Amino acid sequence: MKKVKDFITRDLTSVMEDTPLKEVAELLSLRELIGIPVVNRENEVTGWISETDIIASIFPEKVKIENPDMIHLMNLSQVVKKLTQVGQAMVRDYMIRNVYRVKEDTPASDVVELMLHKDFKRVPVVRDKRLVGVVDRSSLSRILLEEGSID
Amino acid sequence: MIVTITLNPAFDHLLFLPEISLGKLNRAISTLRMPGGKGINVASSLAVLGEEVVTTGFLGGQGSRTFEGSLRKIGVTTSFTYIDQEIRTDFYIIEEKENRQSLLIEEGVSIERRYLNSFKANFERLLPSAKLVEIGGSLPKGTTPDFIKELILSANKKKVKVVLNLRESILKECLDSASLFIVCPDVRETCCVFGEDLRNSASRPKAAQELLNKGAEIVILKYGDLGYFVAKKDEVWEGEVEVGGSNVIMLGVRDGLLAGFIHNYIKTNNIGEALKFGLGAALSTSRSKMNYLNSKEQAEELCLMANVRKIA
Repeated sequence: MKKVKDFITRDLTSVMEDTPLKEVAELLSLRELIGIPVVNRENEVTGWISETDIIASIFPEKVKIENPDMIHLMNLSQVVKKLTQVGQAMVRDYMIRNVYRVKEDTPASDVVELMLHKDFKRVPVVRDKRLVGVVDRSSLSRILLEEGSID
Repeated sequence: MIVTITLNPAFDHLLFLPEISLGKLNRAISTLRMPGGKGINVASSLAVLGEEVVTTGFLGGQGSRTFEGSLRKIGVTTSFTYIDQEIRTDFYIIEEKENRQSLLIEEGVSIERRYLNSFKANFERLLPSAKLVEIGGSLPKGTTPDFIKELILSANKKKVKVVLNLRESILKECLDSASLFIVCPDVRETCCVFGEDLRNSASRPKAAQELLNKGAEIVILKYGDLGYFVAKKDEVWEGEVEVGGSNVIMLGVRDGLLAGFIHNYIKTNNIGEALKFGLGAALSTSRSKMNYLNSKEQAEELCLMANVRKIA
């Protein structure tokens, strides 16, 4: 059975809870990533921050991303105020703390489950709580197609 | 885990042609493009030798994904700090008919203070899992030897061994104040360390002693294509191996030696054996078209050809 270690992307790009949100936005843009792990000083995964979290932080709760037309209805001063707040915000203010992690020996079938049923696109891989890489949908698809099956 | 640092990484772009006509149109017969820079080369060789290795530094621009992807393909874990500039390309022109190689190096990126802070925070997160840190290559604009010193002190604080693979001008600024496991000066441009010409056998012990006095535990000095002098407080070794053949690409060979030496020494604690294996790894690198060695098996086989002796 294929395991996470067979399709892990061994990249440790991550941010810390005290990283300013605007740095994360720049990093995600430069790396063309949709989200990255949040780690502590020991490189242990403590959460996850995504572009969705950042966008959601800028617009008030009543504006749903699924309804972008609503954005135009927002008061301009409200947006400016929010942008100022977000400009000073840290990762800890908007990160998701309850994050799923997998290990290098986690079976591929468990990752399929997470990605299909929990709708995750990228999941951090840990060893002794420390970040060792990520798995994403594209590498999972590639390994599944290469093998023809997950077993 | 071993961490390697390359603050100024580059694409190594190899152009093969029979001979070059200056001032005229020249067509390359074949080309190769790969991630390069001293720490990158050491990381690649260590990964081929089966070590768990993380490489870090600054990366940016369109080619970065390919850069990282090529490293991960050979087993190197990446942990770069991204900047908003394109990294440099170093061009190697290999004239096969002339048996001549020319190198054209770009200056590289300029690093803003905010990126230095991100890099340092990232580096410090790697230290709890690290047993050794290797720092190699040139300094990009915006960085100074003091920044290297900060990194060394952070590693020292966590009791992580430090290997320096840097030019003398940078090394000088980093010695004295820190604890260094291995110092391997980059002598590509001068062949000299502390004014001592390493081609002269009587000069090598003097240069090595100077580095040992300044806090290095082990000193590695290069004195020929594949000739190395290794000194520790109480023992001195020398060894060489014949490169052989024509059109040998020496790209990454010294980094191959350093990787082989580190890989062997952290297991055996034996300078002679580590130098022998390092020479095998260097020779394997010289027989590869890439900037890292072909395989661990080849390094093990080729190291038998090395002539290594204890001289003190």
